Amino acid sequence: MVSVDEVYKTVLYILNKEQRGYMSPAEFNSVATQVQLEIFEQYFEDLNVQLRVPENDSEYANRQKTIKEKISFFETNDNITGGSPFDLSGLTAKVHRLGTIEYLPQNAGFAITSSYNPVEVQEVSQHEFNLIRRSSLTAPSYDWPIFTLKDDKVITLPDLDNIEVYYVKKPKDPVWSYKVGSLGQYIYDPNGPIGTLQNFEISNIDKTEIILRILAYAGIIIRDPNIVSTATQMAINEDNIEKQ
Amino acid sequence: MGLITETDYQYYEGQQLFPWGSAEYQCTFNTKMLDLGPNHPSNYFVEWSPTNPPLPNGWNLLNPGVDYESWENVLKVTAVQPTAVLLRVTLIEPAKWDNYGGYEYIKLNDIINNFMVAYVGEDKIVERVKRSDVIFHAKRGLQEFSYDTLKSVNSMEIEVPPSLSFPIPHDYVNYVQLSWIDNIGIKHIIYPTNNLTSSPTEVPIQDGGYNALPTQDYWGENLEAQQSRTNERWRRANDRVITGERDDQYIGVYDWNWWKMAYGQRYGLEPTTTQKNGWFNIDERRGTFNFSSDLTGKLIMINYISDGLAYDTNMKVPKMAEEAMYMHILYSILSTKLNTPEYIVRRFKKERSSKLRNAKIRLSNIKLDAFTQVMRGKSKWLKN
Repeated sequence: MVSVDEVYKTVLYILNKEQRGYMSPAEFNSVATQVQLEIFEQYFEDLNVQLRVPENDSEYANRQKTIKEKISFFETNDNITGGSPFDLSGLTAKVHRLGTIEYLPQNAGFAITSSYNPVEVQEVSQHEFNLIRRSSLTAPSYDWPIFTLKDDKVITLPDLDNIEVYYVKKPKDPVWSYKVGSLGQYIYDPNGPIGTLQNFEISNIDKTEIILRILAYAGIIIRDPNIVSTATQMAINEDNIEKQ
Repeated sequence: MGLITETDYQYYEGQQLFPWGSAEYQCTFNTKMLDLGPNHPSNYFVEWSPTNPPLPNGWNLLNPGVDYESWENVLKVTAVQPTAVLLRVTLIEPAKWDNYGGYEYIKLNDIINNFMVAYVGEDKIVERVKRSDVIFHAKRGLQEFSYDTLKSVNSMEIEVPPSLSFPIPHDYVNYVQLSWIDNIGIKHIIYPTNNLTSSPTEVPIQDGGYNALPTQDYWGENLEAQQSRTNERWRRANDRVITGERDDQYIGVYDWNWWKMAYGQRYGLEPTTTQKNGWFNIDERRGTFNFSSDLTGKLIMINYISDGLAYDTNMKVPKMAEEAMYMHILYSILSTKLNTPEYIVRRFKKERSSKLRNAKIRLSNIKLDAFTQVMRGKSKWLKN
């Protein structure tokens, strides 16, 4: 988690250092949301790259492990009941990437369920969904259920009574909350009347990248190409170092 | 953690004791407890005792479906028994028999789970595979292994009815041996009819015309006779005509040929038919075993193989063949996966072959003692 206040103050400090311009809290909040999403989405692309290169076994310098740790903070799960098709529309606002879907046998008449292992429901395409059930050897069962996604709905075979959906949630939008001072200045206030404080949820490791990327956007806002090019170049350099 | 989850008491006695007082009891039998259902009877019963320790005749039965029910081996008791102290769950005998010796096997579901854990994933030989593919190859493997590697010979004891035919067993794939059982329980092999007779697969009813063409029904399909005349004649046949066996009432000692018969030297005697155990053939049209007339009323043992997939409880693999099964799945996946280097495919083809050979040797149960016993027979002097 990265303090939104620290980032905002750093950005302002760099921008104001040479009297280049100013970034209002509303502009910062919008840009911060965009930057956080960009970096967050980059995690998955980076992981994809790292999965294809040999992994080292070190405790702190294993890139694959580091990225997985960054993503793991956003991994969560929800139980959906009601039978197939299960409606995912309640999760759409929260889900960034859908992961595993599990099924835990339950019986409403019985309280004890702790002794059962959940069963992973296999994701298949609509095409495979039709093929698999036609083969007597691979026909889905309660031991080996399958699902396909269609229009925000999870369709399972056989018809399950509940599913546990594991997913990567979207990071919350960062908000630098504030109040307006007597001189019209913006004063940081965690419980401020304007917005409720929300720090960056992505990893602390990415603080520098957040600042650089916000600066690049700030350069566009204040129409200063120097800041855009410098910040962009620095961000690229950092990226390159990470991926070498 | 050890693989055995049942206590010895549960295994040998098929029983589990609980102190009375809970609404639900988690039973830990290896056997799945079944309530009376549309496709199966209940396989357990529940009793309560007012004393602890219980008296030998102090157990009182609860009413299934009324006083208790189960789900996934959780027993839910709704009966109110203020004096109850102990509760006992008992598996019925056939359920206990199914469990005895169960440690010899591993369930197919466990094989699939183990395979997914150990062989599939990042930095493993199979990086990614669909679970349904693993299930397919595991089940196909079990079928193939059942035919010639596993100890999956089933046997059914029947009495030959007057119709001389009996339906092929439900999970039959091929027969191993049919034999009749004599009064002291000895098996006598009965042989297939081969070229002696056969059962037709179609018996069309012919018209009475010059060409005797098959007649058709309203839908244009050939009308079929209920009974095959070949079968009917075979059913009435006197086997002695074929075997050359002497009639007890007429032993034929005055026949000029009698001595030839006694020595099995009668001209034209066919060794393959010179046996008095009887014959069977398979009637594909009706899906039955047909027996020769001399077997009426006799006790028959049908030894046959199945494919191991007929029933959920059958889907298990002897632990002796567990590794062979993993290698079979692995080879099947790698050989059907695009862009797998051929040397990898060949490596696992060899692995599969050698593990399968090991499994066959292990399961053929060659024990040194039995081998020695057989070899002793070879040292006997034979007199001519």
